Amino acid sequence: MTESDRTYDHLLEVRDLHTEFPTRGGRVHAVDGVSFHVDPGETLGIVGESGSGKSVTVLSVMRLLQPPGRIASGHVLYRGRDLASLDNAEMEEIRGADIAMIFQDPMTSFNPVFRSGWQVGEPLRIHRGLHPKEALKEAVGMFVKVGIPEPEKRAVQYPHEMSGGMRQRAMIAMGLTTAPSVLIADEPTTALDVTIQAQILELLQQVSREFGTATILITHNLGVVAGMCQRMMVMYAGRVVEEGPTDEVFAHPTHPYTWSLLRSMPRLDSDSTEPLLAIQGLPPDLTALPSGCAFHPRCPFREERCVQETPALLPVRERQRAACWVTQSGRDLTAGPPPRG
Amino acid sequence: MIESNELAAPRAAPLEPAGGRAGRGFWQHSWEELRSNRLGIASAVLLALLIVVALTAPFFSQFVTHFGTTQQDLNNPFSAPSRTHWLGTDELGRDTVTRLAYGARISLGVGFLTVAISLTIGAMVGLFAGFYGGVLDDVLMRIVDVVLALPPVFLFILMSILFRPNAITLSVIIASLGWASLARLVRSEVLSLRSREFIVATRSLGARNGRLIFRHVLPNSLQLMIVAASLGLAQVVLIEAALDFLGLGIQPPTPSWGNMLSNAQEYFVHSVWLVIFPGLMIFLTVLAANLLGNALRDAFDPRLRHL
Repeated sequence: MTESDRTYDHLLEVRDLHTEFPTRGGRVHAVDGVSFHVDPGETLGIVGESGSGKSVTVLSVMRLLQPPGRIASGHVLYRGRDLASLDNAEMEEIRGADIAMIFQDPMTSFNPVFRSGWQVGEPLRIHRGLHPKEALKEAVGMFVKVGIPEPEKRAVQYPHEMSGGMRQRAMIAMGLTTAPSVLIADEPTTALDVTIQAQILELLQQVSREFGTATILITHNLGVVAGMCQRMMVMYAGRVVEEGPTDEVFAHPTHPYTWSLLRSMPRLDSDSTEPLLAIQGLPPDLTALPSGCAFHPRCPFREERCVQETPALLPVRERQRAACWVTQSGRDLTAGPPPRG
Repeated sequence: MIESNELAAPRAAPLEPAGGRAGRGFWQHSWEELRSNRLGIASAVLLALLIVVALTAPFFSQFVTHFGTTQQDLNNPFSAPSRTHWLGTDELGRDTVTRLAYGARISLGVGFLTVAISLTIGAMVGLFAGFYGGVLDDVLMRIVDVVLALPPVFLFILMSILFRPNAITLSVIIASLGWASLARLVRSEVLSLRSREFIVATRSLGARNGRLIFRHVLPNSLQLMIVAASLGLAQVVLIEAALDFLGLGIQPPTPSWGNMLSNAQEYFVHSVWLVIFPGLMIFLTVLAANLLGNALRDAFDPRLRHL
């Protein structure tokens, strides 16, 4: 490959990505100027409410947007090569081979008419042209790696004969058969129960360590981010509102939205008499975003300026960036919001 | 998939050991369902018998009935069913059993060939229109609308005049209209399959459109096509018989069920068997194909079972 000779800053880097959906009610900017990067062996967490643009961001990276959704502008640089400008055939060679994706619901992500082993071998048949028998052998080997007991028996079972956790393991196996360098997991544990969630997350961590895979983990569960990700970014209304190392963001949130999210979550180490805080209001309508900072109608720290001008994502603390006028002007959120009359 | 309780209760296989066993897949499951449907199995057996008779018609006439299709037994015209002529003879003393056996070749031959042609075209059009959508879908579906709006009888008559009717041209003529409704059926199935998550998931593995269509969407719509084929067979057998009856199909002296009926019109007052037996053959074939189609639909779709 010629592009491997080129130098690049990050394994996968997204620069100023804009994704839009033209609708009757106007153009919806589902992703509005998002930038991030991941490197080998690293796990990046993307958190946000439903509709904040998390999934659309990674679907844009994979170029899997359903029409009429499209990337309006921006770059998706994989090893320095812009995926957003590739033609379909070139993109098909990258999908599944270099960048793999795990979906939310392992119940519906498998083709119901084929045996699981056959499906797990599909990327190998697609990208390496392996004979079905060879692919099946490899698939059984992957089943072992992702901790599926009795892999030979499981491989000849149909998806509906496997449990949710088992299927999610098989999904991960399917994503990993071609040893991709980037693995995108879109809420991989949402459809699973809590004990299984822990096992699947453990598996993802192990995969990242062993294969040196760069992982992008999408979730709305802050606990998952805390346990899994070195870095995290918080999205709101299609924009990144805060990003930084996970432990620092948790200890010192620099965006009121992050602050509110953390306050709305029960913690083992907090004073249990303190009531949990609910975020006021509703997530914004993407066709009619509020003026200024999109979070201002719900923000307890709101100032005059927030209503009029949209803040950019700028460094607030040493390794943290936030898109917030309040913290950019030097205020510390940990002191709590000002009382309101 | 949601299955009804009564389905799960009596028929459920004994709980498998923790390790699991070789998968019992969709087809196997459907086969077991079909096997328990007596009417469906009876229909399948009847159709299979007819196919065997059609395939072995020359052998059958030589060794079983000992009459050829056009061989005239002039001593026995209008013979009632008897030991020599099991189902009687017509005005020229031709043996009805022999002619019915050869008629089965026409009816089933035209039936299967027509279904094969119209299903191939219909499935292709439906798959591409449904999968790609957009302009291609619009263009293909407008063509389907046009074909469905053509008056079939008029067209059959016109085409039978233009092309000398034999089994193959007749199949092509019937299929030239029959594919359209199949295309619609397949398209609607593909539309719902296309947006299923496993298609996106497979695309994320790097699968190209061709692979998605033929390796992932097509196998998932096969069940629909099989049911449509079986029900379509019944329709085609009826249409073919009607065309023969009207003199637009297979021409005498080649025997077909339809032209035997047509021929029997003049004689049915005194030789009613000349009408009854070809009519019965058409009736049984159509009934069996329809019942088999329904049984297949029930076997494939767990939600329809036990309704």
